[in-house]
Amino acid sequence: MVGEHLILPKEKIAELINHQIKVDSKEYVALRSKHFIKEPNDQSPIDLLALKLRTKWARLANFTNLHIFVVTLRCDHSCPYCQVSRQSGDKGAFDMTKEMADRSLDFVFRSPCLGLKIEFQGGEPLLNFEMVKYVVLEAKKRNQTLGRDLQFVIATTLSLLTDEILDFCKIHNIFLSSSLDGPEDLHNINRPRQGKDSYQRFIHGLEKARQVLGYDRVSALMTTTDKSLPRVKDIIDEYLKLGFDGIFIRALSPYGFAIKTKKYMSYDADRWLEFYKEGLDYIIELNKSGTRFVEFYAGMILTKILTAHEPGFVDLRSPAGAGISAIVFNYDGSVYASDESRMLAEMGDFSFRLGNVIENSYEEIILSDKLLDILEDSYTKSVPMCSDCAFEPFCGSDPVYHHAIHKDVVGKKPESAFCKRNTAIFKHLIQLMRNDEKVRQIFLDWAYKC
Amino acid sequence: MQSSTLLKFDEQLYSVEAIQKAAYRSMQYLTAEISLKHHHIECILTPNIGIGTDSFLRGVEEFKKHVIDYQLRAKLKAESEPLRNLVLGIAFSNTGLHSGE
Repeated sequence: MVGEHLILPKEKIAELINHQIKVDSKEYVALRSKHFIKEPNDQSPIDLLALKLRTKWARLANFTNLHIFVVTLRCDHSCPYCQVSRQSGDKGAFDMTKEMADRSLDFVFRSPCLGLKIEFQGGEPLLNFEMVKYVVLEAKKRNQTLGRDLQFVIATTLSLLTDEILDFCKIHNIFLSSSLDGPEDLHNINRPRQGKDSYQRFIHGLEKARQVLGYDRVSALMTTTDKSLPRVKDIIDEYLKLGFDGIFIRALSPYGFAIKTKKYMSYDADRWLEFYKEGLDYIIELNKSGTRFVEFYAGMILTKILTAHEPGFVDLRSPAGAGISAIVFNYDGSVYASDESRMLAEMGDFSFRLGNVIENSYEEIILSDKLLDILEDSYTKSVPMCSDCAFEPFCGSDPVYHHAIHKDVVGKKPESAFCKRNTAIFKHLIQLMRNDEKVRQIFLDWAYKC
Repeated sequence: MQSSTLLKFDEQLYSVEAIQKAAYRSMQYLTAEISLKHHHIECILTPNIGIGTDSFLRGVEEFKKHVIDYQLRAKLKAESEPLRNLVLGIAFSNTGLHSGE
């Protein structure tokens, strides 16, 4: 619950539960040092646990940190799994206006969070770079009196990077979050664009961005399609070749065009887990042979398991991070509880649309029954099977996923691929640590750095 | 085509509300008549017009799962209410917003 763990033989667990564990046994010492056992006159275990719990929950009171601005839905790519993008020359139809941006910034600065992250998403946000510039400059202007720690991120394919854009990013310390699905052939199949040169453009953009912004100011995310499944080592090798220090092995989300083009149905949770475990095994071998390389999803989970810190990953929180850790301002002024929510809306399902920045006040949106119900229903200690799951402290809710698949924000966990994927990963990580001390050391390193 | 199915739930173990919610959730396959009889909640489940036997049986199976699910949700929601309210209270504690406003 607060980052302490111990693996015991089953008979020792029975002794612990029955208060029969011998005080001179090594298990007793280990259990007491990790606060699993409290003697009648002990006060420090409770104080220490309380301190760790406060550390774990500190992020909760910060409220909304991540503010996603969808500045356009237009995109120069036509990825079959993409949830939202539009191939359209009509700027008016899919671009954010200054009025919407201003009202969205009003909302951003209503959050009490001292660190405010503004992430530009699309489509391809660089297709509406004038709006990106406007929001950055306006946010910084407002922040002169408010003194928040402002961070900016552009989620971009890098295909449209120019010197002018990079100069602006350099001046305003903007981080670039990009996408790389693997080696050239796989990336180009997954991310088609006119000219069939998405990989070449990514490489060119990456090199330029690293030169101007700094090596660590560009990250990449991959998405797993059916074509990725036999090639996990190739994908990891590509990340290594390009000098990334880790990879986030992600499954497809059941939203938007991924459903329309049936991409989401092209593999199930078991096949994805096989892919994930093969990749993780390979990454562990790399680390054992001296190459430090992180699988970021495992790293984030290990931070939850092994430390008193909460990494704040929006999709793995209880209550869900919807609205209270991340919020989305769509190009049309709509406000959504999460990035996935607006993706669902592009399929015609507006269940997670909280309001509109032009029509609704901050109070109306943040205190809306819709958001409060999502938060209440996504609290895992109130959910069957989660409430008594050993992994509940490390897990979280994904109300949008469960609504999309089960037509209910809670879902039925025995039938949930979200539950199946995550519990399998928790078990696998613990098993790997248990069986191999070297792996445990590698995982500790990831846990404290992720 | 199957005509209808009778299910009985012990009213000490199940609430009418859980069964009503399950019936509502299953309405794409079937309709439910719910009544109280001798310490039992009786449900007569009838397939909707146009629903074949296989779909109806799947609907009955889903209905039973929904009943358990909603029963447990209500129980856990009540049991965890103080902790849930505490956590949500912490989340909103610095916003200056109050839901009573």
